[in-house]
Amino acid sequence: MNRDSQKWYDKPFSKLILITIALTWIFPVFGFVLSSFRPGESIKRTTWWDAVASGEVWSELTLQNYSEIFFADGLNRSFYNSFAVTIPSTIIPITIAAFAAYAFAFMEFKGKNVLFLFVVGSMIIPLQMSLVPLLQLFKSGAEVFGVTIIPALDINGTYVATWFAHTGFGLPLATFLLRDFMMGLPKSVIESAKIDGASNFTTFFKLVLPLSVAGIAAFGTFQFLWVYNDFLVANVFLGVYNPENLVVTSHVSKLAVGAFGEAWHLRTSGAVISMIVPLIVFFSLQRFFIRGLIGGAVKG
Amino acid sequence: MKTNTQREKLLNFGISMLALGIFPLIWFLTQAILFRELTDIVSRNVLMILGILVGSTFVFLLFFGMNKIVSYASKDSRDSLEARMFVGPTVFMIGLFLFYPAIRTIYLSFQDRYGTTFIGVENYKWSFTDPEMIVTIRNQIIWLIFVVFFVLFIGLIVGWLSDRLNKGEAFFKSIVFLPMAISAVGASAIFKFIYEYRPPPLTQIGIINGIRVSVDQDDYICANNKEIDGVYKTVGDENCLNPIGWLQQRDMSNLPFVQNLDLDNWFNSMIVNIPVNTILLMVIMIWMFTGFAAVVFSAGIKSIPNEIMEAGQIDGASEVRVFTSIVIPYIKSTIVVVGTYMVVTVLKAFDIIYVGTRGDLETNLLAVKMLDEFSKYRNIGRSATVAVLIFVCVFPILWFTIKRERDTAI
Repeated sequence: MNRDSQKWYDKPFSKLILITIALTWIFPVFGFVLSSFRPGESIKRTTWWDAVASGEVWSELTLQNYSEIFFADGLNRSFYNSFAVTIPSTIIPITIAAFAAYAFAFMEFKGKNVLFLFVVGSMIIPLQMSLVPLLQLFKSGAEVFGVTIIPALDINGTYVATWFAHTGFGLPLATFLLRDFMMGLPKSVIESAKIDGASNFTTFFKLVLPLSVAGIAAFGTFQFLWVYNDFLVANVFLGVYNPENLVVTSHVSKLAVGAFGEAWHLRTSGAVISMIVPLIVFFSLQRFFIRGLIGGAVKG
Repeated sequence: MKTNTQREKLLNFGISMLALGIFPLIWFLTQAILFRELTDIVSRNVLMILGILVGSTFVFLLFFGMNKIVSYASKDSRDSLEARMFVGPTVFMIGLFLFYPAIRTIYLSFQDRYGTTFIGVENYKWSFTDPEMIVTIRNQIIWLIFVVFFVLFIGLIVGWLSDRLNKGEAFFKSIVFLPMAISAVGASAIFKFIYEYRPPPLTQIGIINGIRVSVDQDDYICANNKEIDGVYKTVGDENCLNPIGWLQQRDMSNLPFVQNLDLDNWFNSMIVNIPVNTILLMVIMIWMFTGFAAVVFSAGIKSIPNEIMEAGQIDGASEVRVFTSIVIPYIKSTIVVVGTYMVVTVLKAFDIIYVGTRGDLETNLLAVKMLDEFSKYRNIGRSATVAVLIFVCVFPILWFTIKRERDTAI
């Protein structure tokens, strides 16, 4: 095969299709991001493409919208709220799942297969099935045949409700992915550690956890972006009416749904701010994210 | 000797119970109550910092505490107890947060609006007879067909063509993949800006209406509130096209280009019933997920052995032929996996509808309807019923996926 015949497919036509698709994909974002730097009055007066065509846009670019949405409109608080929701909602399921994954991968115990089936089987439960009962559980506890199992907690509208909800929804996938990853670790290393008298606890912390960083990062990136971009769980457990409880997505949804009339300068800048964190995470951890995403194809 | 083993058994049982149930429960309650109380006591900024620092790490106490307890057990039984302690919290959380609620939702779906009185299958009857529910189910089917098809189709094209490039492959894939990283809320905001409608004579800042009102009509020059050749042309000029509220069009009947159609013709009457707003909302989801499909397909295409492709070329197969006869059969299982993922994602689509139209104007989907029934109409029974419908659709698909994955693993 010579070099030329290998290039038979690299025709201008396929390039044209690709460039068309890429332009179509980037085009919506372009006008949106550009508008976030234009004053509110200009956005309403002149369309962004006319402003670009006439060159008027370059003289009016401003960061005013960003400071307005961030400080005056309180997006900064929503931004911090998002972190207060996202970081524990990522770390708690990873911690709990890592222990379970270790046991499923390296330990022998009664009922192992049944329990693993229980974990994997729970992946088919869509989170819609859990929302209402969880709300009730967090509000007024749970009773089984008249015996109070969980007392009335009344934690809806606090961070801790979202942490638990995300932990519950993320755990099956986390356990599944981490177990898969740990199964790939060299068994002899773990066995020799046990022969040397290391307890399971030590082996887990000193050996398996450091070796599983890539697997943890894959799930962690996925879960972080999932929780940060989530609107449904935040909407249900934190609510959208108390401004103190808004996270970034619910804040942007409030803007976009129209509570602010025609405030496109706030809608655009708010949405752009909300995208910065996921884009940074995505570009720096793209490798891990895609792996987690493919594994997450069956997340509940 | 015998009493000794019995005591041993009892002790082990006690410790297992501690590990599987009581310890996780104590952790769950402590963390919940601690942060509920903190919410009222400390200021918001302190709460955020405490949440990130303590909220994330509090769970370690659970494992250290259990480790301490297990160390009191005899050496022979320690291994199995440790295993239980490692697995316990996961099983506890999944049981409490997924299995218990799922069973309760099924139970509630046979109850009335307060979730207190058994009413049999009334809710299920409602879900297939209520006009709003019928529209919701219709939309869900439209979404399933079109979104899944276009995501797979465009994803295959991008995956295949970008793989064939000599350079710039990563660049193209990144651009198409980009929307996957941003939230559905953000994506919906972006597209609402494109579909934006403002009553004339306001400038049309959404690009679709912007172009529409600027289209010249038989030599008559139209523009979007702009001076052209010294004449200021406004939106809403009677000789020009008017802007359209695209997301408000539940069908085509208000659109000018179908108003002169003969509706007795079956084809025309079908055209009139095309749900415009639903299609425009589906575009958002296709835009978001195509990149994911493309990246996964491209990985699959790369795994096709070179010899097979070269054999195709030597036989003189055209590009299209190679694609349909080699590439697609080879990555069939990948297509099925992505298709499954998309079906599940579409069944749970919530944000796009919520931000786009709030489910009004016949655009609702099951996941939004489920929450509407709960928070808007305050009907727990019906809300649970809609959730069960989602579950019933998701269940067989995921069950097969998991089963197949297990089969291939073995």
